[in-house]
Amino acid sequence: MDPNDPASLQEVTRVLQEEVKLAARPYNYLLIDLVTRTIHIKGRGLDLYRIPIVAWSMKAPSAVHGTHRLIARPPIARRTVDPTVSVEQVPLSLADMPTAYTLSFTPALTIEVRPSDEENLFRRLWAGTKNWWRSVNEWASSFSGGESSDPSPALLLELSREQAQSLAWSAVDGMPLVIRRTTDKK
Amino acid sequence: MNSAVAYRFVVCSSLLLGGLLSAKPLTLSQNSDSLPPNSDSLPPTPLSSVLSSADSQSGPLPSLSALQARYKALSKQLSRLKPQEPYILVDTARNHLYLKQRDDVLLDALASTGSGTILPKPGGTTDQWVFDTPRGEFFVRSKLLNPAWVKPDWAFIEEGLEVPRDQADRVEQGVLGAYALGFGNGYFIHGTLYTRLLGKNVTHGCIRLHDDDLKRVYRVARIGTPIIIF
Repeated sequence: MDPNDPASLQEVTRVLQEEVKLAARPYNYLLIDLVTRTIHIKGRGLDLYRIPIVAWSMKAPSAVHGTHRLIARPPIARRTVDPTVSVEQVPLSLADMPTAYTLSFTPALTIEVRPSDEENLFRRLWAGTKNWWRSVNEWASSFSGGESSDPSPALLLELSREQAQSLAWSAVDGMPLVIRRTTDKK
Repeated sequence: MNSAVAYRFVVCSSLLLGGLLSAKPLTLSQNSDSLPPNSDSLPPTPLSSVLSSADSQSGPLPSLSALQARYKALSKQLSRLKPQEPYILVDTARNHLYLKQRDDVLLDALASTGSGTILPKPGGTTDQWVFDTPRGEFFVRSKLLNPAWVKPDWAFIEEGLEVPRDQADRVEQGVLGAYALGFGNGYFIHGTLYTRLLGKNVTHGCIRLHDDDLKRVYRVARIGTPIIIF
């Protein structure tokens, strides 16, 4: 952070202000720092675990406000213990976590997590088409005076497979999230 | 999962200290992942209050010196919220327990944490036990020497056995190691006979350690030592 750049300082201060509130409570929270490309899993202001972001893109960053809360963690296929069967159930592990998933937050924010080494061309094309279609719709409705004048923010994160699974593991329902945005004027 | 009401009961449930049969099964919160672990200690902050004053982007930028002063004050405030004394950090994804003081790692121990499996409750209801280690911040609430395990209902049910009526039939000695540190709702950090399973998610929610590591943690931890689990 450049201490002489007011915009950058204001963004860091905004995030810190949120963090102070979150760190005062006994729950873990997420801090996504788009400047340093790092996801911090935090508790009591401590860095519990860091996840490097390989690449990211964001739609409507100005609509990101304060603290967002995770509505639901990624679905996990939990095994059920059957007392009538003597075979022990295989426990859940990090390897069972998904590598591609969407996290929905309130107030409205969507984070799409995708593995950085995604080889499935069809999947990449499909995601690209969806993004393009969304942009076209927004553009069209801005002309027709439609309701998308304040679009919901959406963040696309590319993480290594292992780190995508780590994030899925650590995300729990209701988990608070703060995002530090870039202040570059591009 | 979401549709099922996930009542979770005591996981390592009740420990017995000495010959005292005082332990009782505790009922955990509904859908434990979605609720704060220590909801009794701090009332939830309304979302509106969390969001107020959050985004100050709309107005003109405050002066640089004002921003610098604010940044300094907030950094200090955040720093003060961090534990100053030794604390226990548990990584449930990689099954490690760390004993830390500020940035120093005093101990890095292989652990076993919750298996994440489900055990349906008998009686044809949708209720179930979910064997997760809870996440968030907790505190050491009790320190026990030579603890005995008072087996909760699920320990019998998952083995296809009948739940005994007599409390004495629940008591099992020598399975939890020489020490146990309770952190609420029936969860403990304790020892294990199954040391080959350390490093794996195999428990019913408790945190297992090797004897030597447990001894170290027991010696350093006091009542009130923070336990942060993620």
